[in-house]
Amino acid sequence: MTLPTSAEWDIVALSLKVSVAAMLACLPVAYALAWLLARRRFPGRMLLDAAVHLPLVLPPAVTGWVLLLLFGRTGPVGAWLERVLGITLMFRWTGAALAAAVMALPLAVRAMRLSIEAVDRRLVDAARSLGAGRIRAFATITLPLSLPGILAGAVLGFARSIGEFGATITFVSNIPGQTRTLPLAIYTGLQIPGTEMQVARLAAVSVVLSLVALLLSEWLVRRAGGGRAHVL
Amino acid sequence: MIRQRQTAAVSLLASFLAVLAAACSPARDDAAPPVVLAAASLQESLEAAADGWARQGHPRPVLSFAASSALARQAESGAPADLFFSADEKWMDELDGKGLLRPGTRITLLGNAIVLVAPQDSKAAVALDDPASLPAALGDGRLAMADPAAVPAGKYGKAALETLGIWPAVEHRVASGENVRAALALVERGEAPLGIVYATDAAASAKVRVVATFPAASHPPILYPLAVLKTSASPDAQGFRDFLASDAGRAIFLRYGFTAPQTR
Amino acid sequence: MSFEIALRHRIGETAIALDAHFTEPLTALVGPSGIGKTTVLNMIAGLVQPDCGRIAVNGNVLFDSAAGMDLPPEVRRAGYVFQDNRLFPHMRVRANLAYGERLSRPEHRWIGQAEAVAFLGIGHLLDRWPATLSGGEARRVAIGRALLAAPRFLLMDEPLTSLDAARREEILRVVERIRDELAIPILYISHSPAEVARLTSCVLRLP
Repeated sequence: MTLPTSAEWDIVALSLKVSVAAMLACLPVAYALAWLLARRRFPGRMLLDAAVHLPLVLPPAVTGWVLLLLFGRTGPVGAWLERVLGITLMFRWTGAALAAAVMALPLAVRAMRLSIEAVDRRLVDAARSLGAGRIRAFATITLPLSLPGILAGAVLGFARSIGEFGATITFVSNIPGQTRTLPLAIYTGLQIPGTEMQVARLAAVSVVLSLVALLLSEWLVRRAGGGRAHVL
Repeated sequence: MIRQRQTAAVSLLASFLAVLAAACSPARDDAAPPVVLAAASLQESLEAAADGWARQGHPRPVLSFAASSALARQAESGAPADLFFSADEKWMDELDGKGLLRPGTRITLLGNAIVLVAPQDSKAAVALDDPASLPAALGDGRLAMADPAAVPAGKYGKAALETLGIWPAVEHRVASGENVRAALALVERGEAPLGIVYATDAAASAKVRVVATFPAASHPPILYPLAVLKTSASPDAQGFRDFLASDAGRAIFLRYGFTAPQTR
Repeated sequence: MSFEIALRHRIGETAIALDAHFTEPLTALVGPSGIGKTTVLNMIAGLVQPDCGRIAVNGNVLFDSAAGMDLPPEVRRAGYVFQDNRLFPHMRVRANLAYGERLSRPEHRWIGQAEAVAFLGIGHLLDRWPATLSGGEARRVAIGRALLAAPRFLLMDEPLTSLDAARREEILRVVERIRDELAIPILYISHSPAEVARLTSCVLRLP
């Protein structure tokens, strides 16, 4: 097997760009949701928990279809984004990043929630008694102590983004240079006879990237929990 | 206590696996309906044909719709199906070459045309004999097509655009979908200003209108071959195939906009 | 220095009812296990909201259900020494000590870090991580952290628990020194009559 060609490295670069963007967008939302679910009681909490997990259990094409309905140029959110912020998602790498972020969200939320729950609330009480308000107590106690979990969640979400296919192709189609990430490129290659070598090279890169991300995530979790917690 | 739990778990697992195995093994009785792998563009018409067949007292065939390329791969991998109804000769030839078809059952059943469609309320007008007309009508939007490299509807579209000298201008403006129905959906929703789909797809959808029809001479004839697969286990398979090939069967397809197969 | 406490609170099966006004430098809060002594401290610190009542320390009203007043914990200036210490594991001893000090107003501070460290004999522990401290050392750091937060009063929840005899004597001497040398009221939970007898004659009994 030869080394990947420059066109293939472009596909890898696109995949990395999409996945990194997906994780950056996903992180704050995932942490906020994780904190809400870990620390707050409110009516509809179980419903929120279930909704967050939907992309994990729905067929990816369904998630992609919902994204198309909402974020397409004719969809309510998509039209607003284009009109007000000038952001287009359809047929563009930004749409692929959104699809990847949505699919990665449940995994990131789970990892972060576990690490927030592991922070002893009595430590937060101690901080309050020493003069820290809610926000300062959160920033100086909960946030630093849950940091390894945040990182683990981010890396796990990144690994999921690298492999995202169904929602992406249903939402933003298969556009070379924009949405043809590694999984879509492999899929395209499988459709055309005579491209086995290219498919093999791309698949090998996918496997390596995913393995590295998964191992890194596991290592981070072990470091944080002293060997107790696992998110894989 | 632990032994009891282990035994319970094992017997639960065993009964689950038994049920799964029973569900998976093909029912080899006379009532087994044939499984048909059919191109996505045949969806409405083949459902109607299957209903017609069922009304005659036969078990209703099980229909599986996808891009012909994906279906051919499934058949090659030994998927337990009875009939293959493809949207182009090439994928049928591929299976034929590998000896996967039952001899004497292959027949070219239907023809179709490809059309350029736009959302129902679009005012777009395109003259296909002017290579600049389509790109101009596209503006900064994309042309929705099934994958031009692998899916028949996409390949016919690309061939037509190449013949008409339009392909170079739109090659990088294509939104390539998994199958022709995905392309149709994009135009229906207004996400793509124009798309290339089969005439039958356009007829089936109330949300698009036909802007232009590609001349039959601009692409290889669109032919729908049908054949029984060698691995077919259903006794009804041959009967359903003959029904589809009969005048009554063909009439159903003609109602949905298909044509008799054209030969060059 | 005075504590005025009138509380009514129910947690599950336990009902707490307390009416007290005391002015001693150190007051002991005693009673059988599970009666709610820690909960009383939590309510004075503002970590738990009583069903109804009034809490005032040195004339400053911290809680008054009738007037709808409930100061949040961070402004009550309670120096709370927890039974389980609760040192912040991700900060060294030095940072733990400074945590409350940094958040206090300079005009409220009445003891400096050097003085508190010398008072408690923890100078050699400043660069250590909490996880590496012994029971007695951790307890002394917890006391130091509470003192440095410029508190108006101290709440101590069984500070001699899980310490061996030598350490217990050590901490007891520290508490006596605080009682005698620092002009700050202390509310002290204990279940040992001997300990209580040594420290004070003012005893609040629950129920």
